[in-house]
Amino acid sequence: MNSPVRNTFDVVGQPTPKKDGIPKACGQAEYADDLSMPGMLHGKLLRCPHAHARIVRIDTTRAKALPGVRAVITGADFPGVRYGNLPQTRDYLPLALDVVRYIGEEVAAVAAVDEDTAEEALDLIDVEYEPLPAVFDPDEAMKPGAPLVHDKVANNISAKTAFEFGKVDEAFTRADYVREDVYETQPVKQGMLEPHACIGLWDATGKVSLWSCKMSPYVVWRQLAMGLGLELRNVRVVQTVVGGGFSGGKQEAMPMDFCAVMLSKKTGRPVKIVHTMDEVLTIGHMRHPMKIWLRTATDKSGRILAQHCKMVANGGAYSSIGGFSMYLAGAMLNIPYRIPNLRYEAYRVYTNNGFCGALRGHTNTQICFARDSQLELIAVDLGIDPIDIRHRNALQPGDVTANGFRIGTFAFDECIDRVVQLSGWREKRGRLPKYRGIGFGCGSHISGARLMGHSASAAEIRIQEDGTVHLTTGSTDVGQGADTVLSMIAAEVLGVSVDDVRYIRVDSDSTPVDPGTFGSRVTFFTGNAVKRAAEDARRQLAMIAAERLGANPDDLVFRNREIVNRHDDRQRISLKEAVRWGAFQTGRLIISHGTYAAGDEKIDFRTGHGNLSPAYNPSACAVEVEVDPDTGQVKIVGFWGADDSGFPINPMGVKGQVIGATVMSFGHALFETLIRIDGKVMNPSFRDYKMPLMTDIPRLANFRHDNVITFEPEGPFGAKEAGQGAGTGVIAALANAIYDATGARLNCLPMSPDRILFALRQKEESAGAPSEVAAE
Amino acid sequence: MKHLMPITLRVNGEIHELLVPPWRTLLEVLREMIGLTGAKRSCQEGQCGACSVLVDGRSVNSCLYLAVEAQDKDIRTVEGLMQEGVLDQIQKSFVQKGAIQCGFCTPGFVVATTSLLNENPEPSEDEIRHAMVGHLCRCTGYVQIVEAIQDAAGQLKQQRGG
Amino acid sequence: MSYLRRLPRFEYLAPRTIAEACGLLAAHHDRAELLAGGTDLLMQMRRRETTPAYLIGLKGVTELSGVRKLDDGNVFIGAMTTLHTILSSPVLRSHYDVLAKAAAGIGGPELRNVATVGGNIAGALPCADLPPALMTLGAKVRLASSSGERILPLEDFFPSFGVTAARPDELLTGIELPSVPLSSGGIYLKFHDRQSMDMTTVGVSAFVTLEQDGGSFRDVKIAVASGAPVPLRLRKAEAVLCGRTFAEEALEEAALAVCEEANPRSSWRATRDYRFALLKNLTKRAIRGARENAASRTGDLS
Repeated sequence: MNSPVRNTFDVVGQPTPKKDGIPKACGQAEYADDLSMPGMLHGKLLRCPHAHARIVRIDTTRAKALPGVRAVITGADFPGVRYGNLPQTRDYLPLALDVVRYIGEEVAAVAAVDEDTAEEALDLIDVEYEPLPAVFDPDEAMKPGAPLVHDKVANNISAKTAFEFGKVDEAFTRADYVREDVYETQPVKQGMLEPHACIGLWDATGKVSLWSCKMSPYVVWRQLAMGLGLELRNVRVVQTVVGGGFSGGKQEAMPMDFCAVMLSKKTGRPVKIVHTMDEVLTIGHMRHPMKIWLRTATDKSGRILAQHCKMVANGGAYSSIGGFSMYLAGAMLNIPYRIPNLRYEAYRVYTNNGFCGALRGHTNTQICFARDSQLELIAVDLGIDPIDIRHRNALQPGDVTANGFRIGTFAFDECIDRVVQLSGWREKRGRLPKYRGIGFGCGSHISGARLMGHSASAAEIRIQEDGTVHLTTGSTDVGQGADTVLSMIAAEVLGVSVDDVRYIRVDSDSTPVDPGTFGSRVTFFTGNAVKRAAEDARRQLAMIAAERLGANPDDLVFRNREIVNRHDDRQRISLKEAVRWGAFQTGRLIISHGTYAAGDEKIDFRTGHGNLSPAYNPSACAVEVEVDPDTGQVKIVGFWGADDSGFPINPMGVKGQVIGATVMSFGHALFETLIRIDGKVMNPSFRDYKMPLMTDIPRLANFRHDNVITFEPEGPFGAKEAGQGAGTGVIAALANAIYDATGARLNCLPMSPDRILFALRQKEESAGAPSEVAAE
Repeated sequence: MKHLMPITLRVNGEIHELLVPPWRTLLEVLREMIGLTGAKRSCQEGQCGACSVLVDGRSVNSCLYLAVEAQDKDIRTVEGLMQEGVLDQIQKSFVQKGAIQCGFCTPGFVVATTSLLNENPEPSEDEIRHAMVGHLCRCTGYVQIVEAIQDAAGQLKQQRGG
Repeated sequence: MSYLRRLPRFEYLAPRTIAEACGLLAAHHDRAELLAGGTDLLMQMRRRETTPAYLIGLKGVTELSGVRKLDDGNVFIGAMTTLHTILSSPVLRSHYDVLAKAAAGIGGPELRNVATVGGNIAGALPCADLPPALMTLGAKVRLASSSGERILPLEDFFPSFGVTAARPDELLTGIELPSVPLSSGGIYLKFHDRQSMDMTTVGVSAFVTLEQDGGSFRDVKIAVASGAPVPLRLRKAEAVLCGRTFAEEALEEAALAVCEEANPRSSWRATRDYRFALLKNLTKRAIRGARENAASRTGDLS
């Protein structure tokens, strides 16, 4: 059915409060730890204290004898099948079997009548370990003779990625200017407020159910089936309200999930397991710390001719999604600037630390920090304005990058100009008092990715007789606002209000299968599926209404909960009346579906070539800082950002997402790091793992973000991603602002006060020449 | 059983007569014995504020407060702010101003805001920030939370006829 | 190796008077802990660093709370006075504002609504913020037990890391502050990474009394948090400034003296080097700030 293209919308584009805001504001939203079931037991996990050890013997006799303990399990209680995120690197087990590889790895689990008893029981599990030599630093781990974290994995190389596009050596030879720098990033945790929590049930029919705060329930579904040796039909994953995720453990099946269901099998009762926050901060799941060598060649006008990047990531004890992480970092080097010739090599190295994976922005964030920090120095060396150098290199709509990204809408130049304008850049740069500076940073991100395996999304709509639209997808709202955005899309197409749409949470028994919430895919992929489902529902309803009204279905307009003939508005029927008439009089129910898979293209992950995403988002920002020369403390006094997220479907949601991403990046830049000494996490607490507080952000008048609005034809109503790209330029902007304020260059994250003070001191001692702190 | 202590807790205006072990925190008793799960188990060390409740009108971290010490106090949780199905102004402002994403920190912020506005009905932006330092949010970046608190203060002022 | 747990089992005792509390301490002190605000002790218990058989809860001993002026012009602050009460007390804000401000900078409102001055002192943590401010005010601690009472200067209350001079059967009942001289003022400056909430990396308190001419120091008191294994008064630095005219070189000298006397530790939180740098810079700032406060002060307690 054709419908006229409208330039004004009733629902999409309006700032809309989050659909589940009311229960959340009233304390009625049900997170996993809020749930309770009759007869439920409480579980706890025993974690190993060694960075690397063989498990010689586990004796659970004393634990089992403690009154109130109902079951104790170890790795031997599972089939011994490894599961994982990528088919080639399945190295996870529900509980360790023979070897433990990092401090905190799970070795046993207990179910008891209450948590106090379960905790006591952990003390009574006797584990005999034979400590093995351990290795913590990736450079050490790659040396011949280093202890092997996994047998048979030579030199502890977890993943190796290399690709090359264009003629890199030639470009370096003919370049007017070449610069090389080294950057180091730190381990960073998701830091969500809700610790992982689940309830597992193994029922009498042999079916396993898991209620948990999962961002990708179907990933968990498959992993549970694999690790338990069950068929998919016997596994059910129900998504509870998610209290923040940012990837990590909420993206996959964790030992707690396996243990909850296995303990349930042993006891015949539901079993709840909840992590304490220090457990959350001790276990794996964090951003890869990286060492990035970046060598860039330009002509004398600052146009980038080539880049050579070598990266070593400290992957920790297990693979997680690391193979993909390495590809992604190199792929993201190709945007938002034109890099005609690129060589990229990355090594992910196993060490006896907590393992690393995805975390908001994935490996893109680290790369953007390195790249835009360096760009600043290139501009200084060549005497080029830092804004001009970015414009000069900016990708344009229609470009195809060296690795095959096809750039659609990409208002990068506008984002840069908008930030220059918002921040007062021209008035401030070079004119601020001593120890006050302003810096620029850019980044970009994808709108979902074409991955190997399942990438597509689907949506189902049923319209009830009261006009309520029931919308199901397999995508999860984790706080980012997917429930509202997807409902708004359906509401717009069907001409109803967003409150008329009921968004159902994911349950693998009844919602369509879906990759989940990650990679900024939901608005784009699932949004498109929802739009298609809604359009099909509209088509079905139009046929019914046309019959009822005696009109041509192509003439019918859906608006204000009504269906009206655009040529004769006396011919009208309410949407719910049409639904009722269709159902009651003709036996037709309105049930529709839609799918979206971003086309048939495949990425060649070996060569790194292929158009990873259907759309790309540029972002730019400026940060103003005040540095205290006596303490090295940085105060962020202003932030101005602009992103091209296409058409913002929910501007209120977009604002929350981009500011949230920005503040997260403030933390990564200045305060946050997981401090590990010989594999032991020293600061597994929010007291010492310091995330930004309300007093760490600029005053509201100086904290601005603008949407540069474009219309991405491939996106639903022109929308693209929002909420990950926004954070990617922030860290470099801060590094550049600190440099502008003090002349001290920090290449190592976090840019903590002690490092800044040290750099300032070094600078004074070397009398005037800018100092660079390259490594700890 | 001998360790159980009889206490009477007044929570959201309701009286609860309970037998509790002295080592139970107020947070645990609220969530596990009274069934009020609005206050959350998050950091459990007084850093995040997700467990905040009002004790005699002041915001405290219930994870660090023994239930037996809450005897004779007036306790109010986020669930007690709504009246007969109608959200209070602070709750409304949080919803309408986009201050809620994952929502896990929301009950704590709403409770703290209640305490703040009772003591200081027209706080400046700085006063708002300093009043909220005991509350972490990882999703919103705080801007819309500040705006919600300012909105609530403004709306309440209007309702008072001020 | 233990992750955070539920609280261990204990018996809860709730005295109503100081005498009752002392009696309970006398009976159980080797197996009991005093529970003030609970924000530190309960965490130690969660980590199983301490598992007392008894908790003597002091919240019900109302005579331990409150700020009052004594007949001799001194001010008494009960040990169970919360940080919130301290920062909002009119008496403390007008005449001992270094203390009120130090209290206002600790944690956030939720913490300050329950944490107490007694807890902040008796915990004997080197990073505690109130002891340095109190020391520069010339504070004395009052201790009570079943056998009587005694008073000692606060700077004598911390013999070594993590330990106070209180006997196992003694209860810290409060702090006595002498009346504040004319032309005096103080400041407490502390540093930590974020703008709020963090443990103090280094804190410097300075309290100065100026001569009538306003140009030189009649008296200087300097104390530090996280500058040593205990909260420490820095008498060498004080001696550098006492009787001297205010000048940059004097500040430099005092800052260097601070570094000689202080003994900060290196830890994964901050290195010794960095703490020395902070001590030096914050000392200078603190003296300057204290002097400005003193110069603007119009009178003492009356």
